[in-house]
Amino acid sequence: MAAISAQLASFKSFSSLLNDKKCSRFRCQIKSFENQHSNWSVEFFSGKESVHLIRNSSPSISMAASAAGSAVKPAKKVCLFYCSETEVLAKRIAAESDAIELRSINWRTFEDGFPNLFIPNAHGIRGQNVAFLASFSSPAVIFEQLSVIYALPKLFVSSFTLVLPFFPTGTSERMEDEGDVATAFTLARILSHIPTSRGGPTSLVTFDIHALQERFYFGDTILPCFESGIPLLKNRLQKLPDSDKISIAFPDDGAWKRFHKQLQHFPTIVCNKVRIGDQRIVRIKEGDATGRHVVIVDDLVQSGGTLIECQKVLAANGATKIIAYVTHGIFPKSSWQRFEHDNGGQPEKGLTYFWITDSCPHTVKEVKCKRPFEILSLSGSIAAALQ
Amino acid sequence: MENNNNQVTGELKSGNKKQVRLFYCMECEELARKVAAHSQLITLQSINWRSFDDGFPNLFINNAHDIRGQHVAFLASFSSPAVIFEQLSVIYNLPRLFVASFTLVLPFFPTGSFERMEEEGDVATAFTMARILSNIPISRGGPTSVVIYDIHALQERFYFGDHVLPLFETGIPLLKQRLHQLSDADKIVVAFPDDGAWKRFHKLLDHFPTVICTKVREGDKRIVQLKEGNPTGCHVVIVDDLVQSGGTLIECQKVLFDNGAAKVSAYVTHGVFPKRSWERFTQKNNRSEKGFAYFWITDSCPQTVKAVENTAPFEVLSLAGSIADALQI
Repeated sequence: MAAISAQLASFKSFSSLLNDKKCSRFRCQIKSFENQHSNWSVEFFSGKESVHLIRNSSPSISMAASAAGSAVKPAKKVCLFYCSETEVLAKRIAAESDAIELRSINWRTFEDGFPNLFIPNAHGIRGQNVAFLASFSSPAVIFEQLSVIYALPKLFVSSFTLVLPFFPTGTSERMEDEGDVATAFTLARILSHIPTSRGGPTSLVTFDIHALQERFYFGDTILPCFESGIPLLKNRLQKLPDSDKISIAFPDDGAWKRFHKQLQHFPTIVCNKVRIGDQRIVRIKEGDATGRHVVIVDDLVQSGGTLIECQKVLAANGATKIIAYVTHGIFPKSSWQRFEHDNGGQPEKGLTYFWITDSCPHTVKEVKCKRPFEILSLSGSIAAALQ
Repeated sequence: MENNNNQVTGELKSGNKKQVRLFYCMECEELARKVAAHSQLITLQSINWRSFDDGFPNLFINNAHDIRGQHVAFLASFSSPAVIFEQLSVIYNLPRLFVASFTLVLPFFPTGSFERMEEEGDVATAFTMARILSNIPISRGGPTSVVIYDIHALQERFYFGDHVLPLFETGIPLLKQRLHQLSDADKIVVAFPDDGAWKRFHKLLDHFPTVICTKVREGDKRIVQLKEGNPTGCHVVIVDDLVQSGGTLIECQKVLFDNGAAKVSAYVTHGVFPKRSWERFTQKNNRSEKGFAYFWITDSCPQTVKAVENTAPFEVLSLAGSIADALQI
């Protein structure tokens, strides 16, 4: 660790150079000679005093290991295509592994608004493992990405994987009445009809799908691979001081069902909504927040109303620090603006951190340099899943 | 714009009369009303089209129980990629509500018009669209019927899988009926702007004299020329399935006038006209005093219909009667 502290000191002198710019953030690999298999990154935000050390979640693809010449299992070479929204994440994924190579697509439109698409060097992907990193942030962008998704498997590739970090449309719907149209079902159906490639059915990688039953919406012609962002959360938690004071809070039973097994070693608090007259009020159902650093965990956030109410209840019940984690920061209509930083003191006024992943690229663009937000990247997890 | 379709298509055959519940997308409301007005057997149904804050659709089919055991149809319009998903959600849902049969009416099948699969790497979005439609769930009545008018590329009919029954209709009968009403009906000559249009339509129009144009390359340019036929002194009607920028039609018109045509009109089934390109055809913009006498389009592209409704030389020939008959199949 001494070697790392020395390097941190030199990073701090960098910080004064970077402070002029609107936002400075850099990420470096630290190679430790003692432990060749650990793969650390430093995240630094200008304007913040602290520098964060984060251990990357996919040590098996450690570049330090290959540099040292130790024997490594040959990684599966993957050609990774992406859409314009996911370009930043795609580059990060490719940076995780020498075995993953970025490929481009010409995305243009005809005058009538319909897509005019071309996959350059299509011959070059024959016999290769191919993946596409999609993002369905709005209905308007689905059709053009779908055209590519339906076309790639038929180009004699040896396998095809669709990475769709956030599976939308499940979040606000409840099939309560016959007549409710479940658009999540529509999307699952559309994806279930991706043509098979030589490698068989397409694999679909998605993170923290909202409704657990959605896993059953997919037909047999597609192999869904349900991943989670929780390991990123756990890594991040390891870097917090006073880790013995951390408790995990679930804003409702749904969140508890989804996540409690992955977070068993932390004390938990479960909230729920209780109806009082016309209002629905959030209350603590189980667990104790007194003196604790509480991390509210959920799969996604929309307006943020639920999280804010949870925060208030936890603060009122004695939490000293409140942090939020969601895998998917949807934040329609810039609703992230309601979340403020606690400025080191007041949990009822704000959060110490709000961690989201980079599953929703539009949000990442808007919040990446704004406290209390911090982005935990899925790139390592996706790179591992592509193997 | 009156369209007495009954005269052309005859009385409905007795027996095989089906009560049909017709749903429709927001863009198609006007056409849906016209279709329902054509037949007492067709009743309009409604859907609540709303969206959630994140932009995804929040849809509700009203009176879903009432359509059990009924023949149901949906009138769709995919005028842009953005509106596809919400309509698709309804299309995928309706067949599963224990309906007796399901028909999708998609007057204009988009995305085929510009693409040529020339190179490996070209992504045929028409194929994507056909695939999406081929995966409509089956209902109690079996595979969904998909009604499409004047599909652009003849081979697109083969893009559909076995789980849907494509029904390829045409707007040409509407044109023929309209031509019979003209005072100079005996002087009409039909012109095809290229061989593709000729292939598509000549059999339906074989009782008219024809003119065929073609594009010839001269250096860097491509010029429209007359290949066959004689337009001298005639009212020439250029016939094609659709119009985009209108460039081809304008060039054809020039060649026809240069070769002695007395009047030139145009008919296309689908007035796509992206970016208001129809403006080049209005009488104030068409500088030569010899503009288009008539420009007939159907109501397959509702956004265009709204824009050109009462603007010369445009006239909208409605598909309503034809659709009402197709729903009886």
